[in-house]
Amino acid sequence: MRARFPAGPLWAGPVLVLLLCARGHAARGEAYALVNARVVPVSGAAIDKGTLVMRDGLIEAVGADVRVPPDARVIDVKGMTVTPGLIDGFGGIGLPAPRGGGSGGAGGRGAASSPAPSGSPLAPQSLALDRIAAADALKARDAGITTALVIPKEGVLPGKSVLINLAGEKVEAMVLKEPAALHLHLATLSRTYPGSLMGTMAYARQSLLDAAHYRDEWKAYEASPRGKRRPRYDSALAAWQDVVAGRELLVVTASRENDVRRALDLADEFKVRLALAGAPQAFRVAELIKSRKLPLLVSVNFDPPRAAPLLGTPDDEKDRHAIEDAERNPAELHKAGVVFALVSGHAADFVAGVRKAIERGLPADVALRAVTLTPAEVLGVADRLGSLEAGKIADVVVWSGEPLTKDAKARMVFVDGQLYEPEDKPEPRRGEGSPSPLPRAASPAPEVQP
Amino acid sequence: MTCFASGALALFAAAAPAGNTLAIRGGTVLTISPQGTIANGTVLVRDGKIVAVGRDVAVPAGARVIDATGRYVMPGIVDCHSHTAIEESVNECTGSVTAEVRIADVLDNRDVAIYRELAGGVTSASVLHGSCNAIGGQNQVIKLRWGRPAGELIFEGAPRGIKFALGENPKRSNFTVPGTRRFPATRMGVEAVIRDAFRRAQDYKREWAAYDQAVKAAGPKGERPVRPRRDLQLEELEDVLDGKVYVHAHCYRADEILMLIRLADEFGFKVRTFQHVLEGYKVASEIARHGAGASTFSDWWAYKMEAYDAIPYNAAIMAAHGVVVSLNSDSDELARRLYWEAAKVVKYGGVSETDALKMVTLNPAWQLGIDKRVGSLEVGKDADIAIFSAHPFDPATRVEMTLVDGVVYFDRARDASGAAATSAGGAR
Repeated sequence: MRARFPAGPLWAGPVLVLLLCARGHAARGEAYALVNARVVPVSGAAIDKGTLVMRDGLIEAVGADVRVPPDARVIDVKGMTVTPGLIDGFGGIGLPAPRGGGSGGAGGRGAASSPAPSGSPLAPQSLALDRIAAADALKARDAGITTALVIPKEGVLPGKSVLINLAGEKVEAMVLKEPAALHLHLATLSRTYPGSLMGTMAYARQSLLDAAHYRDEWKAYEASPRGKRRPRYDSALAAWQDVVAGRELLVVTASRENDVRRALDLADEFKVRLALAGAPQAFRVAELIKSRKLPLLVSVNFDPPRAAPLLGTPDDEKDRHAIEDAERNPAELHKAGVVFALVSGHAADFVAGVRKAIERGLPADVALRAVTLTPAEVLGVADRLGSLEAGKIADVVVWSGEPLTKDAKARMVFVDGQLYEPEDKPEPRRGEGSPSPLPRAASPAPEVQP
Repeated sequence: MTCFASGALALFAAAAPAGNTLAIRGGTVLTISPQGTIANGTVLVRDGKIVAVGRDVAVPAGARVIDATGRYVMPGIVDCHSHTAIEESVNECTGSVTAEVRIADVLDNRDVAIYRELAGGVTSASVLHGSCNAIGGQNQVIKLRWGRPAGELIFEGAPRGIKFALGENPKRSNFTVPGTRRFPATRMGVEAVIRDAFRRAQDYKREWAAYDQAVKAAGPKGERPVRPRRDLQLEELEDVLDGKVYVHAHCYRADEILMLIRLADEFGFKVRTFQHVLEGYKVASEIARHGAGASTFSDWWAYKMEAYDAIPYNAAIMAAHGVVVSLNSDSDELARRLYWEAAKVVKYGGVSETDALKMVTLNPAWQLGIDKRVGSLEVGKDADIAIFSAHPFDPATRVEMTLVDGVVYFDRARDASGAAATSAGGAR
């Protein structure tokens, strides 16, 4: 069942009428032209009154003097702002809740996409792809999110993440990059090794050594198999190979200030390509991060659940400081000249976290880049995603107001050029006469021209 | 107070640029060296090293001068058993042998205990694992460079070490957590675990030796054999066998001390220190003969069964039998007043004041293999110095200033402003 065009608020009526007529056709192949838009391409200067043309899932043209193709569906978005779709560069979009079934909300869990049970905490070979419920993932579009890197938050070696675009009914259709990266959470397990941070470091080191040894064993065998016993296949060690060879990104989740150094120590020792995720205290080592040009996925999950201390009572004062530090971390990093992506870090409300970072001093334009082009750069897909440029994937959001402000709603979300119109959920529905969420004068109803 | 580490710290910790000369003048200098005690002495420091110690040391023009008139100047205290500056768990408790885990990986430069210990004259410490398992992991000797990044805490060039533990803790006598039962449960078991670990290390060593042989045999043109799997746990134990790593063994009872000496003899390695070693006085000759040091408490005992048969003369008796003895803290709190711990062995056992001071300076430095660098005020050594308001054994004494590498990391006068601890970002 397609749910792409739910009943919209009044203002969107004309759009719906027209688009409903086109529902029978595949969205791909269609051309859209957003006209009279304030376009923020992120890769360049904003255009006060511009046109953005999408065709066949890609951006065809963007600019102030773009000719509208005759076959395009023209949408007048006067008074609205058009940006690239938001990218959550590190989170759990579409994954089942860690504990207990049925908490994923209504709808969307068809048999075909039922998520696998929680994986082993030490399984670099496990694929986040296998655990995503496509319909759950699509809900994130309501907030203007079009792209997500998905990795479970539990475990020490939770496996490989996948980068997905939030369009399509099956997760395979959504994949942008699989695997996107191998992940190491600098966390600990209970009652089993590694049960301490130093154990986790030792485990990571040994894993990297074992992976290199595994490579050598197979290489020697393949070179002259005759007269040799074949090495034993090991899925975990096989999973490390692209990281060991420097072909795949290792994303280390760093929740403590010194985790940055720990990750760098590992990367230096084993010559792996490194990116950091989380990093709520990164500003304290900003100079180090800058000097090492460390790709950074900074979490806006400012108040994650904290484990109860082994002894004594939780230190509320310390927790409060940790939250305050995390909240100003993005602004401080920016002041220090560090370029970084902002990511949900498995927070329930990604955009609210980004807004908090802006409230704490991060300039809004920097924040927007941090949730569009920069994550695309960190994840190696900036050649196809992250900004509004001709030839890139048509992941585009039309905002009712200034993007990333509290009042701005994602009115239209294009993913791979397919239009999705979020419902206006917070506004209670009172029937025909309900007031528009947008002041009409400021932002008139878009007109669709054939 | 959440102010970001900034200017205040830079002024405080980095105020001694290279080439800077510093003179500590006018104090009573307890050198802990053949020079003995020098009244109205001067310690001259250049580039973080001591360049002169004596009564008639000329202070070059332009040198910074610290007036220590009426004060006591002594080498910075070395704590041979500390758990300061460890981030999160002190133990990797999930196995009985975890030689591969490293304290160096989890140093926490923002642990305010570092600063508090500086305020007690401590300048170096051996940061050890807990004693949850028979072979705990690789300890790290640090300098208390408060405010510097974690990597700069490391005492560069200090010998590597490993923590062993015997008795009640590794056999989990007093710590039964449901669902965490683990071999061993007896002292016999602890011995078996350690012996088994070294047997495996011997096998590992042979495996690599065979590989080296095979490489040689294959010659430059032959097919190279695949290198054996590197095992970080066994690699470390192999280095113990080869004498490259100091063994620091947590222990209490005489029987387990003798057990480890026998086991070390069997495998041909040395125990560098016995830690706690409350029954060391019973086997002091054996410890001395093995060549091990002993790092004990002055008068802390009876907190568990194996810690009952203890006496305050332990340090003095072991020293009298030729053991290099130190007094340690094992505690962020006790570490702030190790000089008074030393005073106690003057009372109990009649140890001379200098020998007692050695037990918190030069002796632990020897035990950690850093005695060429620290532990006494001698030319060529690091300028790790504590300045006391009165003799360190005076019950009203306090530390006025502590320097590491000639840099002032603690200054009571500055501390009064309240900015020092927080400026380094750790204290809250």
